[in-house]
Amino acid sequence: MKREDFPFLGFGVGLRRDHYVHILENNPPVDWFEILAENFMVAGGRPLEVLDGIRARYPLVMHGVSMSIGSTDPVRRDYLHELKALARRVEPAWISDHLCWTGVGGRNLHDLLPLPYTREVVRHVAARIREVQDFLERPLLIENVSSYMAFNDSTLTEWEFLAEIAERADCGILLDINNIFVSAFNHRFDARTYIDAIPRERVIQFHLAGHSDHGTYLLDTHDHPVRDEVWDLYAHAVRRFGAVSALVEWDDNIPEFERLMETANRARAIHQSVQAEAPRDAVRSHLG
Amino acid sequence: MPSDLIWVESLLYRLITAPAGVEEGLAQEQSLTSGGLAQVIAGDARLSAAERVDIYANMYFYRLLDVLKEDFPATLAILGAERFHNLVTGYLIEYPPAHFSISYAGEHLADFLRDHPLRDEFPFLADLARLERALIEVFHAPDATPLDAEQMRAIAPQDWPLLNLRLHPASRILDLRWNVAPTLHAVAQAEEPSHPPREDTVMLVWRNHNRVYYRALDAAERAQLALISNGATFAEICEMIAAGVEERDPAIAINQRLETWLRGGVLLPA
Repeated sequence: MKREDFPFLGFGVGLRRDHYVHILENNPPVDWFEILAENFMVAGGRPLEVLDGIRARYPLVMHGVSMSIGSTDPVRRDYLHELKALARRVEPAWISDHLCWTGVGGRNLHDLLPLPYTREVVRHVAARIREVQDFLERPLLIENVSSYMAFNDSTLTEWEFLAEIAERADCGILLDINNIFVSAFNHRFDARTYIDAIPRERVIQFHLAGHSDHGTYLLDTHDHPVRDEVWDLYAHAVRRFGAVSALVEWDDNIPEFERLMETANRARAIHQSVQAEAPRDAVRSHLG
Repeated sequence: MPSDLIWVESLLYRLITAPAGVEEGLAQEQSLTSGGLAQVIAGDARLSAAERVDIYANMYFYRLLDVLKEDFPATLAILGAERFHNLVTGYLIEYPPAHFSISYAGEHLADFLRDHPLRDEFPFLADLARLERALIEVFHAPDATPLDAEQMRAIAPQDWPLLNLRLHPASRILDLRWNVAPTLHAVAQAEEPSHPPREDTVMLVWRNHNRVYYRALDAAERAQLALISNGATFAEICEMIAAGVEERDPAIAINQRLETWLRGGVLLPA
């Protein structure tokens, strides 16, 4: 994959049911939407009608939660068939899912579980991503998840694991800035070290979201505003990766649509302000 | 395929879904060495290995509980939060989610309720859950352009008798033993639901312009729709309607019935 094959979409928000009517009636000035693929992997009815209406007006990206790319079960062909059929309908700018497993033994936990960070697992996951990309006939983006446990068997850091898989599978990365922040707290690593180690040319999208603080750990709940520390981390990521499409996710205690747009516009403002720094940095670096 | 990964994913699956929690699941676990879970998962002063897995166990249960509460609001209203919580605990042991979409999580709840001890106090509960599930299935069922009055008019009258009809795929006919529709309706109106009467009831659940509706069918209409779902011709359906009218003009009865179905969008040309 090449980064230039992916358009820069700007600053979008996750499409959620609470806002369908508002969006269809008001055409709010949002750059793009990300849909949760599984919500539209249905035979028919209202969800697909809404989807077609929104797709006619906005660029869309498909984001899945059930590919279970890290599972030891075979990749589900029924899932891939439906995903590909949805992609034919939507013509998304790209498709993403998570670097995790969601079930085993034919059962689904409906959660994003972390993997042991080993070379053996790198090879396992990368081979499966290649299988998916061959089937979908397009590159996949994989997203780093928030995690609450780590494996004693791990021999790599999370960022090494993510980078090695992306290189070996030749796939893109959806870098979730909030997930890095949450996992950095939960596993006591430095979030900036993580960001600085991710290969620049593979990052196609950012996620921004809120989380909740449980004292001994942070939980990726998508039910709060983006924290200031996460905004700072986002600015750091923009400095490293440049023009990357960014998206705000909000899944619980979902506010009015305007609030989501304000958050997307804050991402835009930070992006612009970092971009404005760039010439000065370049001059400084030239002089230095 | 990394064999260690199969083992670790299977272990975590068992612990996360252990009905009485991770600690109890660990007590049952045969596959761990004496080092226990801490050999696999890194714990620290803030959270032990088991507490970390417990975060996932809670998310597993409460995510599914929330989905089932949303999908079965009337069942929840009748049972109350605590009994519904216990129902879901038992249900997930019997029917752990297997589909990739969480919207299928409740597909077996009505079956599970059929032989559940709650049946003694709430004998109508399986029927209520069945109706609630049918609303979801019909909401997502395949699209198809229903036959409407204009299309019927465009068909030459001499071709009507041999016209094959079928039911729209976004429709279900439910044979219930309890008249649960008023209970469901009350919950939808945010009113206190009453327990439904014991009364054999046939419900039609269907979708029209992407909205889902339900209504009771009498025995005659039930039989007519059954005939249609078997791919009957228009002439056969008319015969059945006409045979059922006693003193009324059969043509009027046929016309009224047809108009109801066409307006509702429940018919398709075969």
